[in-house]
Amino acid sequence: MTTHTPHVDVHSGAHTGTTNYLNNTSGFMSWAGTLDHKRIGLMYLIGVSMAFLAGGIFALLVRLHLWSPDGALFTNEAYNQIFTLHGAFMVFLFVIPAIPASLGNMVLPLMLGAKDVALPRLNLLSFYLWVTGAALAMYSILAGGFDTGWTFYAPYSLYTNQAVISIGLGIFILGFSSIFTGLNFIVTTHKLRAPGLTWFRMPLFVWAIYATSILQVLATPVLGITVALVALERTYHIGIFDPRLGGDPVLFEHFFWFYSHPAVYIMVLPAFGIISECVSVHSRKPLFGYKMIAFSSLAIAIISFLVWGHHMFTSGQSTYAMFAFSFLTFFVAIPTAIKEFSWVATVWKGSIDLNSPMLYTLAFLIIFAIGGLTGVILGVLNVDIHLHDTYYVVAHFHYVMMGSISLAFFAGLHHWWPKMFGVMYNESLAKLACAIIFIGFNATFIPQFIMGSRGMPRRYAEYAAEYQPFHQASTIGAMILGCGVALMFGYLLASLFAGKKAMQNQWGGVTLDWMTPTPPPLENFHQTPVWRGEVYDYSTLDLRSTQTPVS
Amino acid sequence: MSSHPDTAHAHAAHAHAAHGHGEGHHHVASAGLFLKVLIALLFLTGITVGASRVDFGSANMLIAMLIACVKASLVIAIFMHVWWDTAINKIMFLGSFLFLSLLFAFTLADQATRSWDGPISVQRAPVAEQWHHPALADKKP
Amino acid sequence: MSHDGHHSIVIPAPGPEFVPHTVAHHFDSPVQEFQACKLGFWLFLATEILLFGGLFAAYFYFHEAYPETFRLGGQQLNWKLGAVNTTVLLLSSWTMAMGVRSAQTSQKKATILFCWLTVLGAAIFMGIKFVEYKAKYEHGFLPLFGGFEVADWFKDTHHVMKDVPHGHMFFAIYFTMTAIHGLHVLIGAGLILWIIKGASKGRFHAGYYLPVDLVGLYWHLVDLIWIFLFPLLYLVP
Repeated sequence: MTTHTPHVDVHSGAHTGTTNYLNNTSGFMSWAGTLDHKRIGLMYLIGVSMAFLAGGIFALLVRLHLWSPDGALFTNEAYNQIFTLHGAFMVFLFVIPAIPASLGNMVLPLMLGAKDVALPRLNLLSFYLWVTGAALAMYSILAGGFDTGWTFYAPYSLYTNQAVISIGLGIFILGFSSIFTGLNFIVTTHKLRAPGLTWFRMPLFVWAIYATSILQVLATPVLGITVALVALERTYHIGIFDPRLGGDPVLFEHFFWFYSHPAVYIMVLPAFGIISECVSVHSRKPLFGYKMIAFSSLAIAIISFLVWGHHMFTSGQSTYAMFAFSFLTFFVAIPTAIKEFSWVATVWKGSIDLNSPMLYTLAFLIIFAIGGLTGVILGVLNVDIHLHDTYYVVAHFHYVMMGSISLAFFAGLHHWWPKMFGVMYNESLAKLACAIIFIGFNATFIPQFIMGSRGMPRRYAEYAAEYQPFHQASTIGAMILGCGVALMFGYLLASLFAGKKAMQNQWGGVTLDWMTPTPPPLENFHQTPVWRGEVYDYSTLDLRSTQTPVS
Repeated sequence: MSSHPDTAHAHAAHAHAAHGHGEGHHHVASAGLFLKVLIALLFLTGITVGASRVDFGSANMLIAMLIACVKASLVIAIFMHVWWDTAINKIMFLGSFLFLSLLFAFTLADQATRSWDGPISVQRAPVAEQWHHPALADKKP
Repeated sequence: MSHDGHHSIVIPAPGPEFVPHTVAHHFDSPVQEFQACKLGFWLFLATEILLFGGLFAAYFYFHEAYPETFRLGGQQLNWKLGAVNTTVLLLSSWTMAMGVRSAQTSQKKATILFCWLTVLGAAIFMGIKFVEYKAKYEHGFLPLFGGFEVADWFKDTHHVMKDVPHGHMFFAIYFTMTAIHGLHVLIGAGLILWIIKGASKGRFHAGYYLPVDLVGLYWHLVDLIWIFLFPLLYLVP
């Protein structure tokens, strides 16, 4: 039988047998040397999940330490290292590559009707660069750790007696991994779209990944040169960032945030893409404001290059630059709000299926609204002077990075899990885990908003006793969150061995990723598909013909 | 149903043999043009050196950079074939200069305006004299 | 049709001294392959622009902060050697452009010749750079041997920079920029040698000259950056 929908010519289906990308070849080298985007995506998925678990363990250690005002577990120096490791692992090894390199790699060529990404060898290279960067991060821990915070601010990073050069080299290499992934996706989107799949018929996940890729290509090189200069400072004391030698640490911050502010959108734009897919498929409605969402991704990408100075309101930067940066920061809220409203409008009056991907998506919509709006508050220049480097900032960016991005990542993981592996996880446990994660997350970070607004500074190993109730509430929340995440990984892994067979098109999606056999074969489509009709057009899908079990 | 791929491929290969890369839109610039550009570039290098001998005051930097930009434009347009390249390649490469200009604009604007509203001077970062790392304690005279 | 039964697209060789090119299996046509790889390379060059851009931003930042230091520092460099190197790089950029053109027109011998001339240009450039670095080392300006203090490398043997603030700053910028540029010259020369190897086997011709084209673009970028470095460092405005 072939699955055939009226508006897409795709030859797929069960008649080719059970060969798919997971089992068409076997042996170590068939994975280590693979050029298949799906296998590379899967290897990335394993890698970033391990980085997430490591970063999560560091986070729990930080929270446990803060149980008592004097610090419960570590020396102050060890605490500095642990929160730095938490930040560096989560940012550079998990959040930046998480969605584009794993789910993006897996799904983007499928959505475009392509056999692979445009440059498969470069894709494999960027995976090994990621592995090298991760190895250097591990080496840096063994070589004594690093205590600079994930931001590596000069002049402290120029003088601290720790493994800054090796982690700097690691970040340089991870940067190139990220650049090559982005470059590959831009080329793939431009050159490998199926005939008939015009720009405004592409799924919004592709638009989001495309906007992300532009940021990866244009912003990351500046981070590369910045860490290279830090390494030169540490070895030769050339003096560019060193105030003792006539250099300027504020210049470091300019360079660093020229990358790291767009990097925030490198992290969050792919999450937006996943949410766009999930709200549409699980509400069975075309996206409200498709073009507005598509353009808002590009608008966010461009505006993100104009606002980096809002991280530097207390750095000694010029007041006039701060006016400009604060003013421009508010413009980010416009395209972001367009997205949020469009998603809500899509869900409205849809035939909502409250399955686990949709629950994660709805949790995202709530948490992202809080994360986004507290960001607007922090963009106000004079308010930020008070809140800068407090737990309010910590809570804000965790609402965006952990709450929004990780929840979107989980939503995507649950959404495409049946596609990737042909099996379904335990849906009841999935709903339970989603509830635990949502409760645990809010319990962790709402107290941080409160104590932050009351002046609790971030990164302190010890604190005044009046903050203890908030810290303890936060620590309990973090433990709940940790249990939820552990449960999620548990049932996902269990499903690989004992999961029920998934459907060919588990959710009744109408984008090309759901038109291939499940799991997809080596080159995705036996013949380049031809796209007809509009995107997210659910009226043409005959559910009965697509919801056959995986053979 | 799309056309059979074998036929399409055979056709592409055939067309290719006749016209170069299939579509025949790959521009081969004339050797004479390359030579003219080379001479222009060498001439402009002379101008660069000559202009550096004349003091135009605060316009010195602007003039030097303008000449360099003309030279760079020649290299980009002719030697790198951007003049004949596809629109998307032009946008991607030239767009990078746009984003670079943002880095320049905000960073240098910060520096230029930092001393407007107070005694903090650009020449000396505010912590230059006071800052002292404990690790340096025994190294200082 | 089974997925492993697809037919490869082969671009035939224009003559007996050339070899055909097989289009990578995931592309539908040679045009798609050419355009995809070229777009990817332009994006890579865009990252190079941003990478060097950070250094240029640092240059302008400190040129603004310490104008006398930069003017006096620039006078310590030998502008004649800088001008010769500029000329060498411009000539090598021309030979590279001609090399690409020769590949486009299936002139195997000319492709190889022009590529060798470009490598020669790279060698002369690096030779002159070595002479310059050596002189700077003798003047105590070269940050080659690190230490805990700037004085460990910035010795200023002839005390020419003693009257300007932070005299090492110009040389820090100069050596960082020219060293990273020099690294690109070496990588470019290596890539051109790889092109020469492929061209000798007849891999590049009118039907398929993509690698020559891309390496050529890389080499022009190296030239492009030097066009700005020469006036900024040797003739400090």
